[in-house]
Order: sequence, then structure tokens, then C-alpha cells
Amino acid sequence: MAVVSLSAQHLVKRYGGVVALADGNLDVKSGEVLALMGANGSGKSTLGKIITGAVVPDAGRLLLDGEGVSFSSPQAARRAGISAVYQELSLVPDMTVAENIWLANEPVALGRVRRKERKERTARLLSLFENALGPSVGPDSLISALSPSDRQIVEILKALSREPRVMILDEATASLGARQVERLFELVGEWKARGMALVFISHRMEEIFQISDRATVLLSGKTVGAANLKETSEEELVGLMIEGGVAERHIEHPAEAAVERTLLLETEDLRTSVLREVSLGLTEGEILGLGGLQGQGQAELLLALFGAVPHSGTIRFAGEEVRFSHPRQAMRKGLAFVPGDRGGEGLLSIRSILENLLLPSWSRYGMFLNIRQARRDSEEVSQGLRLKMGSLDLPVSSLSGGNAQKVVLGKWLMRDPKVLLLDDPTKGVDVGAKGEFYKILSDLRQRGVAILLHSSDDEELLGLCDRVLVMRDGVMRRELSGDDLNKSALVSASVGVASSPSDSPPSGGLASGGAA
Amino acid sequence: MSAARASVGLRLRRVALRQSYAFALLLLVITVAINYYLQPNFFQPGILSGNLLLFVPLMLVAAGQTVVVIGGGIDLSLGAIVSMANVVIVSLMGQESSPSQIVLALAAGFLAGTLAGALNGFCVAVLRFQPIVTTFATSFVFSGLALYVLPEPGGAMPLGLVNFFYTNPLGLPMVLWVAVIVLLLWSLLRSTRYGPYLYATGGRDLSAFVSGVPVSSVRFLSYCIAGLMAAFAALALALSTGTGNPIGGADLMLQSIVAVVLGGTRLSGGQGGVVGSIIGVVILSLIQSIVSFSGAPSSWQTLINGLIVVAALAGPGIVALLGRGRRA
Amino acid sequence: MRRLGLNPIVIALILAVILFVVGGIVQPGFASFGQAMNILRLAAFLGIVAAGQTLVIISGGEGIDLSVGAMITLGAILVFRIGDGQNEQALIALAISLGVGLLLGAVNGFGITLLGIPPLVMTLGMAGVVQGLILVITGGRVEGEAAPALTGLVSGSLVLGIPGVIFLWLLLGGAMWLVLQRTAYGRRLFAVGTNRVTAKLSGVRVPSVLVLTYSLSGMLAALGGVVLLGYTEQVFLNLGDPYTLPSVAAVVVGGTLLAGGMGSYFGTMAGALVLTLLTSLLTALDLPESARLIVYGVTLLLLLSLYGRQKALRQ
Repeated sequence: MAVVSLSAQHLVKRYGGVVALADGNLDVKSGEVLALMGANGSGKSTLGKIITGAVVPDAGRLLLDGEGVSFSSPQAARRAGISAVYQELSLVPDMTVAENIWLANEPVALGRVRRKERKERTARLLSLFENALGPSVGPDSLISALSPSDRQIVEILKALSREPRVMILDEATASLGARQVERLFELVGEWKARGMALVFISHRMEEIFQISDRATVLLSGKTVGAANLKETSEEELVGLMIEGGVAERHIEHPAEAAVERTLLLETEDLRTSVLREVSLGLTEGEILGLGGLQGQGQAELLLALFGAVPHSGTIRFAGEEVRFSHPRQAMRKGLAFVPGDRGGEGLLSIRSILENLLLPSWSRYGMFLNIRQARRDSEEVSQGLRLKMGSLDLPVSSLSGGNAQKVVLGKWLMRDPKVLLLDDPTKGVDVGAKGEFYKILSDLRQRGVAILLHSSDDEELLGLCDRVLVMRDGVMRRELSGDDLNKSALVSASVGVASSPSDSPPSGGLASGGAA
Repeated sequence: MSAARASVGLRLRRVALRQSYAFALLLLVITVAINYYLQPNFFQPGILSGNLLLFVPLMLVAAGQTVVVIGGGIDLSLGAIVSMANVVIVSLMGQESSPSQIVLALAAGFLAGTLAGALNGFCVAVLRFQPIVTTFATSFVFSGLALYVLPEPGGAMPLGLVNFFYTNPLGLPMVLWVAVIVLLLWSLLRSTRYGPYLYATGGRDLSAFVSGVPVSSVRFLSYCIAGLMAAFAALALALSTGTGNPIGGADLMLQSIVAVVLGGTRLSGGQGGVVGSIIGVVILSLIQSIVSFSGAPSSWQTLINGLIVVAALAGPGIVALLGRGRRA
Repeated sequence: MRRLGLNPIVIALILAVILFVVGGIVQPGFASFGQAMNILRLAAFLGIVAAGQTLVIISGGEGIDLSVGAMITLGAILVFRIGDGQNEQALIALAISLGVGLLLGAVNGFGITLLGIPPLVMTLGMAGVVQGLILVITGGRVEGEAAPALTGLVSGSLVLGIPGVIFLWLLLGGAMWLVLQRTAYGRRLFAVGTNRVTAKLSGVRVPSVLVLTYSLSGMLAALGGVVLLGYTEQVFLNLGDPYTLPSVAAVVVGGTLLAGGMGSYFGTMAGALVLTLLTSLLTALDLPESARLIVYGVTLLLLLSLYGRQKALRQ
């Protein structure tokens, strides 16, 4: 393999008013693994996507072997020898492993796909992960029959099958099992020795130290440092990631009053296909945060509480055991849920703002709907939320992200909810609207609403919540409150590092968390 | 132990998706058994091929429909294309046609079918119109062209060709030859790059696109193939009736969709195959034969036929429902 | 979606006016009052039949009801036989006919939601079953008579020489508006058609809404059959067949999204008017059948190009 070098210089990417990447820089060359690090939302993924051609930068240069390049599509980047491992994005579920790996890259002779050769080549690729894959995974297995971790391996092999010179592993280990990670790292060593350049994007500190040679750290869209990992400690890296990281309080807490607060929502040993033994309690007038890396079961927990996914275990609402098998039942009890995928799960994008606000509440307006009353109620709520809109009758898709999110929240506020479940509500919302949103949550908290808030933005959790529960791999790992509720404790608990001896995790949490 | 069980589960799942016609095979066995019970001479070649010969056009249309459906589309104009190609072929031929005339007529018919498919493909794949309404609209165009070419049923096919259609080459019934040739063509198609492209496009077009599959071209070609298959069906129709009919293909369109679904191909695309659809056509013909030999009063026959078809369509859903009930 | 920024109903109505004017120019007598009433009457049949189709298509999920043709025939035949020309029996006959339509529609709904059969195939299979039912009921020969009250209501001119069916159609239009815009069901239907996940997470029981929708479609098709009977006064075994796919076309031409979640019955009414005008104009022009079909198909394609396109993969 020829020597290769890739260099990104001062890359910038904006989405509307939001700057995803302000000054992205990195350098990587043959025979090394570069770790790209940063807290949630620091711009790592955007930088990775620019390199692989999925995103076109607004400014800055990309140099491959010293020459300026720009990729219009992932295919273009692939032809230049840069492959990325997507998270299941490129797999077709009802096709076999072999068909998927070689899709649009099939070995062909006389117009016919050489299935035998494709199968052999696939088997050779799969043998790289021998004993680390499910018992019956072979070239002819269907992707839909594979476990998520085995699918991820197939994605990795698919990227490898293009024989790239530069490979980007973006959170590629997130869904892998311990043995698979171990084997992947052995292979990374081999590829490195053969002259491949790798960029490794991960949250898991110990993995980064295990395979990376150097690290580039991003903070709020800027490259703030590069470090040789042989000479750097975990604590120093965490320090770089959170530099200046004193979170601003968004909610002034009234002095912890001696008032007895009622426990509104309680779970005991809640389990789903993703969650294990989740027990928590939520009291009125409290904002309880759900933290941790993305996709560790936070969304699943909220869905289970709202009756939208099958679950076992006990849920108590105001002391009474409840069993929700449909969101309608949860809604009637006074629960409300703002889903993480605003467009896909929270809104009726082509319908009017009015209809979106009223969707859960139509049955209140009589057999023949009293639209005038409904409109008055909607106006009241939208004014309370300070919704910026032309008219209630415009499609909700005409709103900005922040205002659209207010509509999702507003449809529940029309019902005066007692418990509010929020799944990353400020994702993709501009700074101004975020501030307003925090104010709304603060008001609701004052009024005694119990709020369970999952956020991918650590600052937000620290700034808003009374307590934060940190989840990893579907399990509650740590509860942070009082003085423990600080950035370094949150980041450390998320990535599975003990930040200081005093707040070590509950029994065995760390050890098993790192390996699972 | 649990690993072994998991592997059995995986294998079953693979069978269910890949050999999606497993359920269709079961239906086939049941319908054959009932036919044999009602009609002990059922397996005599003459009876068997006589029953099935009428279904040759449907078999060809269903094969084409399958390709479109796997690619994530649907074609409601195939019946009209059959009618159009049918009258093109017949109007360019006569009872006494010379071989060169025959070749010319056939070429014209096949070209007409393919071009009609190309129009559908252009609207759906390039202009991105909704497949259902688009092909419904084009079906009027093709029906109109059929009536323009031949306003009234009529014309004749060369006797030699017609007689050949009713022979049993090498002692095997013609319908079997047609089925085998269709399956060979299908396996040839699947063995090219187009095979995986088609399944990927219908299965998850975004993944296919990201992987570098030319999604629009794949869709376009699927409609062209269906058009060509409809033209073959038109020839079979002309041979089996010996004459041309500008509305002869009308019934084939909806039946072809039923056959495709019976054969285990999912209407949402990305799965299934022509083998299943051919079994589906055979099942449809066997159900009809059961009903007509069951001794049921003739006024009840359509209802019984309809109920059996619905039951067959509901079969996989009922199995899934029972399975879910047991687990819960 | 609306590429021209024009309301599809407006497009359809403008088109209807253009067709009417063109008809009047090329064919004297086309724009006469009598002919206009005749066209409106024909449009009313298609429009009534397409009411249920509108609901089904709004419900999304590749929703389509291909059993309407057979349901029309069944609805007409039930009234024809049970009513048997007597006015006293007519109401009972009407109730039975609508009830059977509702029930068979509900079967469609259960097949689609509970058994996961695609709507296209389920309703197609149902069409076969209903066709069979018709043969069982009639034994192949249709005997009976349309009630004079029915014939009078549909064909007779109530006011100013306007046939009663047109008032009936307007009444249905009002009722459909009420159902879609002023009932919780209507609002939930739009929600289900737009995004089933959002609907469920907002407390809507999606399967119930769907079953009700297909039931209503069956009932409205049966109603269409009864009305059609008042016009034809005779029943044929394939009375409703020519209405199945045109009912889908009327809905789409009226601007209802085939993907679901957006549409109105007023649009469908306009769509039915456009399609009927187009057919009448082509007939009046004395064009051969072949040319008529081709022009009809091309016009449909052009209408689709105005508002029926899907999203591109590359954003």
C-alpha cells in the first residue's frame, strides 16, 4: 500500500444559524491511528462526514497526499481511497451478508456476478472476525437476522472491501461486543502496519488509549489541541474536552425547601429489549436528567414509561401501579412525551400548527368540534410559549426548529401534564430558542410538573437538572446530584472513567461497563 | 444448546425470506391434493396441461410484475400493454404469413411492449411520479393505442404457429416449457449485477444509493422488462385464442398482482422472486379447477373462489398473528 | 408538494371551466343547460362513489380501496331485490344495503390492520368475494325493481330542472366536510395519514381509525350503488366495475395526496367533475374510442405532473 496523508485545514460548516464546525483541523498519515475526540456536539461527526464526502464544507481545505480535493459524494471519496464505516446506514436488511458487502462492487465475469468468488471473498473477510461473530453468521446470512453488533461488523467489512487507504471509524465500536472490539483492534494494528491511515472517533476513553497514536480534540466546533497519547493522561484529555467547562446555570434553584414533595413516577426493575433493571423515582417540581453517551437506552426508557414499547417490571404513578400498553393510557393519566425525532415522531409536518397542537385533545371539543374554542385554547398556549408564527393555519413545517419543538411541547401543555418526558428536546435548536425553552421548563418546574429530561448536551443537563442519572448500555450507572453534579463527573461517568476516588461508581458498574 | 436453537431460528427466518414461496408451496401441495381427490385423472398430461394452458399469459405477466414489485414499484398498465402488443402482432400477421413477416410482426410487438414499459419507467423513475396512478393513467394510453390498431376483435395467426402452441414438444406440455424458460431467464437476470441492484433498490433505496447503486436506472429497467414480458404474454394470448383482441389483456393486470402476492413477494419491494409468482399462478388455476369440479352450484363458484383466494392471502398474516399471540 | 403554489382544488375547477368552455366552442349545445345538468348528474355518481375512496386515500399507508366497484353493484342489487319497487320497503332495503357495505368494509379494515395484508391486495380479494356474493344472491339473473321514490329522487328534477341527485351530492359534500373538519375522527384520520408514529405517540389508536375508515368506504360505495340504481333503474352484474379506478383518479386529480394525510372531499368533487367533463367532451367531439382513451390518459398524466411527485434521494 502506498504512503498516504490526509490533512484538514480550517474546515467550517454551518447549518442555518447553527455553527456545527467553526475551525476543524486534523492530520493523519500512513501507519497511524488518529483519535478524534470531543464532548457531545463538539463537531466530531461533522468533521468526519466532511472527510468522507457526506457533507460539503462551507470553507476550509482538504488535502489528500498534499493536493487539494473536494468530494461531492461518498462514492467520490471512496474512489479516492477514503472509506467510512456507517452505522447500519448502507445495509439492506433483506439481503445477505455477501450481497451487502459487495453491493455495487460485485466481482463480475462476462456480465455475470461471480457468486462463488463473492462468497469466498466474503468468507475471507468474515474469517477476520472468526469466533467473534454470532454462531451461524456466514456469507449467506440475511442482515435482518443478524444482531446489531454483527451488522456493525458487516459495515466495517464492507468499508474494508473497498481496500481504502484512509478509513474513518465513526463510533464504530459503539454497538460491538467486547470480543469484537478486541479483534477489531488487533486488525487495526495489522492495517496500520500495512500503511493504512485511520481516524477513530469514539467516546470511550480506554479504547482510545488502547489503539490510538495521537488525538485531536474538538471543543465547540474548534480544534483545541492535539496530543501524543503516549505522553498524555486520561485526566489531561478530559480537561481538554471540557476546558472552561463551568456550566452556566439556566435555572435558579429555590433553596431546597423542607416541603415534602410527592413521588409522582417510580419504576422498579424496568426491562425492555434494551434496558436492564432500571429503577428511578421522579418527584413533582423536579427536573431529573438522563445523561450518558448517545443511544445508551435513554430514549427507550422514555418510550417505555409512555407505554410505547413493550416492557416488564413495575411502574407506579402517584403511588398506584400502572400498566400502559398504549400511549393513550399514559396520556390520560397526565403523562406527556416529546420524542427525540421531532419530524419523524413528534410532528405532522404537512398539517397546520393548530392541528398539531390539538391532536391529543380533540375529544374534548364535542362530537362536532367546537373549533372556535379549540382555536382560542391553541392561541393561549402558543402565546404562553411565545411561538413565532405567521398563523395557526400554516403548516408546522414552516416553523424554525425551535418553534416547531415548542409546538410538540405545546400539544401536551394544552392538557396540563403532570409528568413531562423529554427526549433531547433542544437538538438542532438555535441558541436563542434554547434559552426560551429553558425558561419554559423552569416555569413548569415551578408549577410542580415533574420533568424527566434526556439530553445529548451535557451543559444543558448541568444547567437545568436537579439530579442527573447517567446511563450506559441500558443500565443506570451513576446518580449525580449536589456537588457531584459537575462536568468532569458527568463526562467521566459517561465514558466510563472514575473521575476521582471519592465518587466511584456503584458495585462493578465501571468494570463491566467498559467491557460490555 | 441455545446456540443450536438460535441457528435453527435463523435458518427458518432465512427460508421465510429467501424462499419466500414456502407458504405458496404448501398451498400448492394442498390444492394439488384436493384436485387429485376430486379428479383422479388429474395427473394425466392432457388434463393437466389443458387446465394450465389458459394461464400461460398470466404466468408471463406475473413474472414481469414480480420484477417491478421487487424493485419497489407496481404496474397497473400491464394488462393494457398485453392488449396493445397483442393487436400489433396480430395485425401484422395473417393466416398465411411468410417467416419474414412473422419475425417482423413479433419484433414489432416486443418493441411496442418494451417501449410502453419504458414510458412507465420514465415517468416513475426519472420524473418520480407515484407508480400506482401513473401506470393507471398510461393504461388508458395503451388501451387507446390498442383500439386504434385494431378497433374490433379479429385477425388471425398463422395456423402453423397456433398448432405448435398446442403441441407437447419432447412430450412435455407447452406450459411447462414456458415456465422453465421464464425461470431460466429470471435466473440469468438475477445472476447479473442487476439482480442485487434490483433487490437493494426495492429493499432500502437510500442504502442502495449510498452504496453506489444507480437507483433510477434500475427502476427504469424493471418497467421495461415488465413491458417486454407483457409482450410475450400478448403472443401467448394470440396463440391460445388464434386471433387478436384489443381488450384481451384487461383481466390479467389485477390477477397478476394477486399471483405475485400469493407467491410470497412483498408488495413493498426488495424481496420475493419469480418462482413464487409462477407457483402463485398455478395455485390460482388449481383453485379455479377445484371450484369447478367441487360440484358446487355454479352461482356459488365465484364466491368460493374469492373466499379461498382471500384465505390464501391472509394465511401468512394469520400465522404471524398466532405467533405473536403465543409469545405475548 | 404544490409546485405552482396553487390550491389543487382551484386548479381542478379552472380546468373544469376550461373544459366546459372548450366544449361549448367546438360543439354547439355542449354548454347548454340540459347538457350541463346531465354532466353534473354523471359527475355526481362518480363523486359519491369516490367519497369513501377519499377517506381511504387520506388514511395513508398505501391506502386504496379496489373493492368499491363490487360494493356499488352489491349495494344496488340489495336495494333492487329487497325493495322490489315498493316505496315502503325502500328504507329498510337502504339500511340493509348500507349495513352490508359497512360490514364488508370493516372486514377490509381488519384484514389490513390485524393481518397486515396490503390494502391493494386485500380490497382486490374482497372485490372477488363480493362479486361471488352477488352471483349467489342473484343466481346470475337480476330480478326486482327500483323503488319509484328512489328513481324520482335521483332522476326527477326537484327544483328548476335540476336533478335530485345533484342536491344529494351537495348534501354529501357538506356531510363529508363535517366529518373531515369537524369531528375528532376526521382530524385523527389526517394525523394517521400523515405520520402513524406521531399519531400513536399522541394517543391516537391507529388501527381503530383505519377500520372505521375502510368501513365507511364500504358503506359509501353501497350508497353510491343505490343512487346509481335510481338512475339506471336496472342492475347489471358489473354495474360498478367502471367506477373503481376512476374513483381513485378523481381523488388524485382533486389534489388529495396518494401518500395520505392531505386532501379534501371538495377536491374530489372537483376531480369527479373534471374527469366527467373530459369524458363527455371527448364523447361530444365524436372522436373514435381509441383517441378518447389516449387523450384521457395523457391528460391524467399531465395532471399528475402538477402535483404527484415523490422526493428525490439526493437532497
